[in-house]
Amino acid sequence: MKTCTKCGATPVIIHRKASGQMLCKDCFIESATEKVLKNIRRNKLIERGDKVAVALSGGKDSVMVLDIVNSLHERNIIDLFAITIDEGIGGYRKHGVEIAAKNAKKLGIDHRIASFKDYFGKTLDEIMHNESRQHGACTYCGVFRRWIINRVAREENATKIATGHNLDDETEAILMNYLEGNIDNLTRIGVKSEPKNDKFTIKIKPIREIPEKEVALYVIARELDVHFDECPYSRESFRGEVGRFVKELSANHPTIMYSTLKGFDKIKPAIKKEFSGKKVNMGNCIQCGEPASHELCRACLFAKSLNGEQ
Amino acid sequence: MEVKVIFGKKEENRAIPEETTIKEVLDAMDISSEAVVVKRNNEIVIEEEFLVDGDVIEVIRVIYGG
Repeated sequence: MKTCTKCGATPVIIHRKASGQMLCKDCFIESATEKVLKNIRRNKLIERGDKVAVALSGGKDSVMVLDIVNSLHERNIIDLFAITIDEGIGGYRKHGVEIAAKNAKKLGIDHRIASFKDYFGKTLDEIMHNESRQHGACTYCGVFRRWIINRVAREENATKIATGHNLDDETEAILMNYLEGNIDNLTRIGVKSEPKNDKFTIKIKPIREIPEKEVALYVIARELDVHFDECPYSRESFRGEVGRFVKELSANHPTIMYSTLKGFDKIKPAIKKEFSGKKVNMGNCIQCGEPASHELCRACLFAKSLNGEQ
Repeated sequence: MEVKVIFGKKEENRAIPEETTIKEVLDAMDISSEAVVVKRNNEIVIEEEFLVDGDVIEVIRVIYGG
């Protein structure tokens, strides 16, 4: 039986092929936690006195974020609460919302649940059956979810929104935007957002350097409540295709995601300098008052077109 | 020798040769080890571990599209 390269214990629960390291359960949990906290410290993601809103779906990624960021809350360094969005996806979301509520309750954290139905009058399932629909599920979901999270975070006076983007997500985002030639989006990928409008709360990605498989291992090793269900709409997306490609590559090239991320972070300042020159006049949406670069924000534009209005 | 494999709602007994690793069982089932976490007799294990007769393997799908 293999032994832990840090403490010599058995059994080993992970063989990190990128580094050759083998770790037992305790050393793995400690190592993953330290890596996340180091990312928070190095990039000044969270500072004393912050009020952090964790976007909590009930899936492994956001549950890991909540678990680790809660250690700062327990030490009275920050204030913390969770926001869960109920998109209205039959056979999928209800379970996630229940798990999210359970996690927040277990940690004694305030929890807000906000639904697409309440804010936009339609569930995602209804949107997908709407004849006026012009985009895929992930586009509507992303726009409406971001709108609600930002609105709720501001209502609760949050200073940061922590999301569960992991290393796989970031690598996919970088490659997707390279492949699509979307340089504008590339300038916005990063560990911490730089809002152009003070109505936007800063978004942070504490687990950005943790591979998806390790996120799953962490929540199972910590025996946290999560749901591992697949969103029924996820396979439709371009992200899904890129994700499968990256995972296939990673099997024979275990460092590929780390090098993609590190390489991107190095060239990002140059990309920003070269391509962020375009000044966007960010005003407020005439309908909802949220930040918008045109008369209507994207969420209101989508809602309007789904209602059959031009 | 024989091991029991639990994958989602499915449960099956599989006859395997001596010195079979968890990875070989996953490969035979066409499951990517990158997409799952495996427990043997209720403890998380790595895919290089050899199985012994009577082991109960629980394969937990944690990543889709992998």
